[in-house]
Amino acid sequence: MKKITALLLAAALCLGALAGCSQPASQGSTAPSSEPTQGADSPNTPKDPVTVTIWHDGDEGIMQTIADQVNAQLTDDQITVVFEKKTDMPNQLKLYGSDAANAPDMYFYAHDVLGTFVAMDILAPLSDVVDTSILADHLAMTVEAGQIGGTQYLLPVYFETLVFLYNTALWDGDIPGTTEELYDYMVAHTDVAAGTYAVVNQHTNAYNVSPFINGFGGYVIDENGKPGLNDPKTIEAAEYNQKFGALQADGDYNTVTTLFNEGKAAAIIGGPWLVSGIEAAGIDYGIASLSDIKLPNGNGLAPFSGIQGAGVLKVALAEKKDAIAKVLTAMAAPEVGVDLANKSGCAPANNKSYDDPQVAGNEMIAVIQKTASTARPMPNIPEMNAMWGPAEAMLTAINKNGADPAQAAEEAQATAEQAIADMK
Amino acid sequence: MEQKRRWKPWLYCVPAMLLILIVIVFPIAYTGWISLTNMNLYHWTDYEVIGLSNYARALFKFDSGFLSALGTTLVWTALNMVIQIGLGFLIALGLNAPGLRLKRVYKTLLMVPWAVPAYISILLWRVGMFNTELGILNKLLVLLGFGKVDFLASNGIAFLSCMVLNLWMALPFMISTIDGALQSVDSSLYESATLDGAGFWTRTRSITVPTIRPIIAPAAVMTTFITFKQFDIIYLLTQQRGYMTGATLNTVITYAHQNAFASNNYGLSSAVSMLLFVIIILFSILTNRSLRED
Amino acid sequence: MTKKQKNAVRLTLLNVGFILLCLVTLVPVLYALSISVSGQGAALSGDLSFLPKNPTLENYWAILVDKPFLMWLKNSLLLSAGTIALSMLCAVPMAYAASRWRFAGRRGMLRVLLVLNAFPQVLSMFALFRVLRLTGTLNTHGGLVMIYAGSMCVFAIWNMKGYFDTIPREIEEASKIDGANDFQMILRIVLPLARPAIIVTCVMVLITVWNEYLFATTFLLDSQSYSLAGGLYQLQSNDYSRNWSVFTAASMLASLPLLLIFFKIQKYMVSGLTAGGVKA
Repeated sequence: MKKITALLLAAALCLGALAGCSQPASQGSTAPSSEPTQGADSPNTPKDPVTVTIWHDGDEGIMQTIADQVNAQLTDDQITVVFEKKTDMPNQLKLYGSDAANAPDMYFYAHDVLGTFVAMDILAPLSDVVDTSILADHLAMTVEAGQIGGTQYLLPVYFETLVFLYNTALWDGDIPGTTEELYDYMVAHTDVAAGTYAVVNQHTNAYNVSPFINGFGGYVIDENGKPGLNDPKTIEAAEYNQKFGALQADGDYNTVTTLFNEGKAAAIIGGPWLVSGIEAAGIDYGIASLSDIKLPNGNGLAPFSGIQGAGVLKVALAEKKDAIAKVLTAMAAPEVGVDLANKSGCAPANNKSYDDPQVAGNEMIAVIQKTASTARPMPNIPEMNAMWGPAEAMLTAINKNGADPAQAAEEAQATAEQAIADMK
Repeated sequence: MEQKRRWKPWLYCVPAMLLILIVIVFPIAYTGWISLTNMNLYHWTDYEVIGLSNYARALFKFDSGFLSALGTTLVWTALNMVIQIGLGFLIALGLNAPGLRLKRVYKTLLMVPWAVPAYISILLWRVGMFNTELGILNKLLVLLGFGKVDFLASNGIAFLSCMVLNLWMALPFMISTIDGALQSVDSSLYESATLDGAGFWTRTRSITVPTIRPIIAPAAVMTTFITFKQFDIIYLLTQQRGYMTGATLNTVITYAHQNAFASNNYGLSSAVSMLLFVIIILFSILTNRSLRED
Repeated sequence: MTKKQKNAVRLTLLNVGFILLCLVTLVPVLYALSISVSGQGAALSGDLSFLPKNPTLENYWAILVDKPFLMWLKNSLLLSAGTIALSMLCAVPMAYAASRWRFAGRRGMLRVLLVLNAFPQVLSMFALFRVLRLTGTLNTHGGLVMIYAGSMCVFAIWNMKGYFDTIPREIEEASKIDGANDFQMILRIVLPLARPAIIVTCVMVLITVWNEYLFATTFLLDSQSYSLAGGLYQLQSNDYSRNWSVFTAASMLASLPLLLIFFKIQKYMVSGLTAGGVKA
């Protein structure tokens, strides 16, 4: 009997020891950690330091720029923001979003997942925390993208669209003004067997094909949650995209960025997030707006725009409401946008940031701003989440397996409708 | 004493049972419970029991798409197992050939894929081997004057590519299992058979195979389960978002993942999981039976 | 041809065959190795050459210095050791009981375990999250160890029970007469005899923990506390941060420890995997 007890005890001890030696992980590395404590109530009492944790899944350089700016503004308030990178952040928030012990205080992500989080009821409206007049100077498009049902949940910080990036050493002549001329250029300058390409694009990814879909007047999903994959205009766009796809190598991210960064592709349709890699590869590049390239119907290519910004988790309000309000206010300041623009080429959401001469003269930002005139913000309703898969499946079937566009569209539409029906 | 004898074995089982209860039984029970609720995006924390209606909906997921996924899974499992055991056996036989001095070197080299974390292996193959632009296989084809082949684009070739990768990842285990089993064969049996004039293949068939069969059976059963449940290879190679390759290959697990989990409806996806569990149980009972009859 | 010559030809052919087989097997690894010692942009330019033009160790340097690689390695080792300890502590007594005593419900229990093990864990992520939350072990290595050990427990029980079955009972009877109690007897007689099976089981547990990335990145919240597989997953999963040559360098470094362990224990693996084969 004794030995059994001993054995059990040993097992229990072992488990205990293991749990003990791995206390809840320390704070991330972007800032010195400090005990999360109650925000100060009165401005007269000395304040305790407060740490506001923000989860993201983006570029760490960009987050550091925001953190530096915000922390500099809030030194006197003893408030520190810490950005923590989470792989597959939206899914992580689904698990942790209502777990007061482990949830972050805020998150930073593109606006297309907003509807999902609001449906889950894990976000607090910004007006619960701070006076939304801090958004007075923000571009209307970015403000609206942060709203669900008229309520503001996301503080827009910067926005991005796809642009046309080209290698100045490889591109021959001017950037074509129409997609047909672009296609002719591609036919003349692409050698698949040799592995050299004129233009590459992630031609099976709905986000990267959105310039065609939106430009043709089609849509992925409308504001009422109705998928539009089998809309005649969407099908037309997918069909039109097919001949481009055939000359764009395998459309996955790794392939197309590597091709461009190694000088095997003269141009790439991508976003500002590619720039740091391109510069590291030592490539001299130029930027053109997609809206300057006209489709046969006369419309410019019209990509989705993504608005990157911060939201507040409900569970954080109990303890850190005041600190979060200050963080939001600091984040909304034009200086954050100026720094982001100058350091990372992000187009600020705050209109005042553009008063800075350096921002106004930034080529990438000028191009993104121009594209924004035709760009369509990604839908932010929860149903959008269920659309990426079917839309990609449809484009893959058409571009890689030679499926009939109309039939592929019908199948994808059925899958999407089923997935949306399954949500309730 | 008699009393003690009766509960003592169970006491020995307590720690394991406790662990299994927490990590395996509880999740299954919890999944079962969630399957009776309406937990979804719109009722994330305020879900309530709604009875069996999720099952009524889940049954529709087990349609023709599921049947073809089940078919694929069975073919996938059978082919992989046959090739694994066959190839593993041949390689192990070769390794045990008398006079092969470099055996240890070969064996170590053949074990290398085992040491590479599975996730990394898959990525390495997707980009380094199969990719049309960056992959070695296509570079080789171009060098030899052939056109490029998209190894993951359509179901047939994607199935083969997935299988090659699975073999690459799984063969080391099978080789070392069979290699070990071969060494336990009593060499005196061979000697007497040789005296009786039996050739190599006769000896292999009548002595080696019957001797090692029961020894490798547990490993084979386990590998069969792993192969049946294989998710990562097919998912990461062909259907990860942003990396869909055009193949619409599905096993039962990837099918369930695709059809039930994309919607964030935990009630519904739990019902699908439970039904899938029942199917896997049936499958394992069938395997068990066929193994015993063997 | 004499028998000796015939034999020599056969061996030569066999050697050639094995060299080819090893080469084919190693192609992906050699490829990764060659990229890992190349500078920026080696994925395409090398025309099927395994010899990089300007070999450099900068990628290894980048991994070891800029990324918390050593921290991840330490975490992986910690998680592996913990999982091995816990799963063995739980599995050995049960395997022993199931092997030695014929008690009511024994067969049924073993069968049920196998069936339970068939539940695909990919589908129980959310439930496992609940388990960890309930036990307060979210974001701890302890919680992860519990999950890993639990998922490997059934395999460990089956594998070792098979081996225990082959150890003759008489050996134990003899030690009982010497006055050893059950616990001492398992520790001093049975475990040493079953060493091959135990080592093999441990290695399988080790490989599982070493490979696992999904639970590691979901149930741990700080990238500093990730395991190697989790850290590498995070390193390349995002379009913003992907760097192919650094990633391959990290892959090579992550595979090295297991390879060393395999090499060390090769001779034990042989008999351990062949439970029933040991002559009683």
